[in-house]
Amino acid sequence: MLPLEYDRSQDRDIIVRDRFDTLRREFLRTIVTPEVIEEHRRSPLGQHSERLERLLIYFRQRPLDERYALRTVEPFGKYQVVRLSGHRGTPPRAVDETIYASANEALHGLFLHCIRDLLET
Amino acid sequence: MTPVRLFGYTDKISVRPGEAVQFHVSAEGTDTAEAQLVRLIHGDQNPAGPGFIEEEVACAANGTWQVERQTTQVGSFLEVDDAECRLAFEGSFTLFAFIHPTWPASGKRQNVIGRWDSDRGLGYGIGLDERGCLQFRIGRGNDTVECLAADVPLQVQMWYFVAATFDAGTRRATLYQAGVGNRYNGLLGKVALVDYDSRTSAIFGARPENLAGTPFLMAGSRGRDPQQRECVSELYWGKIDRCGAFDQALQPGELDAIKSGLVPAMDSLVAYWDTSKGYTDRGIGDVVVDVGRHELNARGYNRPVRGQTGWNWDGHTDCFRLAPHEFGGIEFHADALTDCNWRATKVVTLPRGLRSGCYAMRLRSGSARGLGEEHVVFFVRPEKPRAQIAFLFPTLTYLALANERLSFDHPEREAMTGQPAVLSEIDIEMYTRADFGLSTYDMHADGSGVCYSSYHRPIMNMRPRYRMPSLDVASGLAADLSIIAWLEQSDFDYDVLTDEDLHRDGSAALAPYACVISGSRPEYCTERMLDATEDYVADGGRYIYAGGNGFNAAAGIRDSQPWIMECRRRDDGYKPWISRYGEHYMATDGMRGGPWKVLGRPTQKLVGIGLSSQGGGRSEPYRRMPDSYHRTVSWITKGVEGEIVGDFGLANHGAAGLALDYYDRALGTPPHTRIIASSGGHTDSYVVNQQLVLYAYLGLYGSYDWRVHADMTYFTAPNGGAVFACGSVAFAQSLPINNFMNTASRVLANVVEAFVRPGRLPGFAWVNEEKQWA
Repeated sequence: MLPLEYDRSQDRDIIVRDRFDTLRREFLRTIVTPEVIEEHRRSPLGQHSERLERLLIYFRQRPLDERYALRTVEPFGKYQVVRLSGHRGTPPRAVDETIYASANEALHGLFLHCIRDLLET
Repeated sequence: MTPVRLFGYTDKISVRPGEAVQFHVSAEGTDTAEAQLVRLIHGDQNPAGPGFIEEEVACAANGTWQVERQTTQVGSFLEVDDAECRLAFEGSFTLFAFIHPTWPASGKRQNVIGRWDSDRGLGYGIGLDERGCLQFRIGRGNDTVECLAADVPLQVQMWYFVAATFDAGTRRATLYQAGVGNRYNGLLGKVALVDYDSRTSAIFGARPENLAGTPFLMAGSRGRDPQQRECVSELYWGKIDRCGAFDQALQPGELDAIKSGLVPAMDSLVAYWDTSKGYTDRGIGDVVVDVGRHELNARGYNRPVRGQTGWNWDGHTDCFRLAPHEFGGIEFHADALTDCNWRATKVVTLPRGLRSGCYAMRLRSGSARGLGEEHVVFFVRPEKPRAQIAFLFPTLTYLALANERLSFDHPEREAMTGQPAVLSEIDIEMYTRADFGLSTYDMHADGSGVCYSSYHRPIMNMRPRYRMPSLDVASGLAADLSIIAWLEQSDFDYDVLTDEDLHRDGSAALAPYACVISGSRPEYCTERMLDATEDYVADGGRYIYAGGNGFNAAAGIRDSQPWIMECRRRDDGYKPWISRYGEHYMATDGMRGGPWKVLGRPTQKLVGIGLSSQGGGRSEPYRRMPDSYHRTVSWITKGVEGEIVGDFGLANHGAAGLALDYYDRALGTPPHTRIIASSGGHTDSYVVNQQLVLYAYLGLYGSYDWRVHADMTYFTAPNGGAVFACGSVAFAQSLPINNFMNTASRVLANVVEAFVRPGRLPGFAWVNEEKQWA
């Protein structure tokens, strides 16, 4: 392994990675449907349809600084969506003020952030 | 106002009543804390269970403690014992070392070797500048530091011979850098068009000035913190192999001779640290030997990693035991931590007659929302074994995972668990601080894996309510307390032991007990622990493996420093990082690191089942299998209505989850083992253990591959012994559901009752095969 943070300006494979990512996102946008979103709302952690699983696999593989997580405001009562920094020592930051009443609701809120990022960028 | 924070650790993890235990506490935002000894009974706050339960215990130490903020020296380095200041050169000198930087362009200065006070600019040293260029520095105070730099930067993970000379007569300084990479020992091969060599020289204004108290260090320099307390700063990232010093400015030809590997033998040699000296077949200590005439040995701080491949390693051997002279690399990390070395805040003599259990000194300060609370956890083993049952806390596994930050740092963690992280305030605080150290699941900032963990530091995830963020379940101690709570609500009397006791005392630790119950994830084991468990069962002991992913990973403990555990990681099995080739053997005891399976000791061979899969999200129930109706074992499921066991739990609503173990005759499951129940229907977040497959291919997931399941098994052993294995990490967390009245609890109770009952095990009388099916 190379250092966690090093100068990647010379890494040529970033272009390859980005091209793959562009094509992958292009396809994934076509499978975002109300049904898929509803399926996730009903069961964020269960067995999923191939479409939903494809989206989730993509979200789980995003670079750390584009990754979301939940912050427990109150155990088993209040959760918030945060974004990881991807830099050791730098805490995650809240993405909005929304407080969710359960982990499952918050997981779905997090999923919607991922969907928004996918569709809007 | 500084928010109130309390952190602490004990000097020992396992103590007996009447013994003294030392508490080391650091406080922020307060100078007092209310201390209360508590016995921990349940941790997980999940509302589906009994919640957090602790019992206050009378103790002379309860009351107000004076506390203070303590400082921690982070980073590994070597300090030379040079009481006579032989290395405080007044005249000419030469310094040399073989080095292998792992983060040259770290943006911070690093000192490789020297007697250098970086705070005051006094002394001399060879180091790296912020961009990763080698530097030779001489100072007579902050305004008179002279510096000579190499003209090509150091390459990451490549070996170099470096040297600096200073001729006091001419005041000429030279800096010498030459690549000594070969086909095996570095990141790049011969084909890479890289300039490794540099020779620069300059005339300096004067010789260095040396303070009497400046230590000669490898991998650091003398610094001072903002309060002007002495510390070690300019910590180095990378390996250092043989190094030394002369009180003469060597000529290029002489340096070339050292570079070629010849051992210097001139009279001007003041010190020569042969980093490969003193290796034994059973491990390497922390003293680096000066083989020169003054014996200026160097001692490691925060356990530099020894036995690493050296500059002259040719790839033919993969272990320091076989060719020590090729494994002289000592690896240093600026974020290493094996001992906070805080002052003892309180020495507490535990009350005599204290019952065996998991305890903590609960420290509180502040009020309401500003309340700071810490549970400094330790375990009390009995003065003399008293109960029939011993619960064995898997403290080595707690240590392996201590203060892990996978959810923040590991790019593959979320893909592996199949769910986003759920972070608590303490996770976030831990991530922002460097002074609590890393786990053996983390990487140092230079990308190298962390192979040492210690309990001489606060461990956030050994707090009793802790939830592992990447799985959002109680984990480690918090999960194991569900077994303790189960024992508490039963009529079973029990003692507790730790991995440390098992390692130290071997099977004698277990022998007094009719029944031993493991933790929910007893993953990390030393060889002695495995031997002791195997001997206990073979000699007639009855063992309940109450979890999954057990007995899986090799770990090392040095007898003299049991608070530090070591693990190395191989290319087979689950791993958050991987040791470099040639660095798979533990410096602690010479054992090969990685999965025990590879060493011929799969978990199945010991307890009948072994790791089949891991994942996160939904857990599943078990379904009874035909064997459970066999008369020899039908007593195990007595009282269970129907087929299903454990369709509930605090860990994702099922008794089979997180890590699953399965029966496999090809891996040594004893031939007469019965499968009592098995799980199934796991989601695709559960993937087949990569140790079980030869190729990676589409379809190794829960809904595709039958191996993704947990088996609950039972077998009888020689001399009246037996092993019951629950099959999954999540099993323990199914016990508390419905006030402990449930099918999983029933099964466990049946087994424990049978195991502690004197005489032969139930079912022994059924010997005629045709009559054995109920």
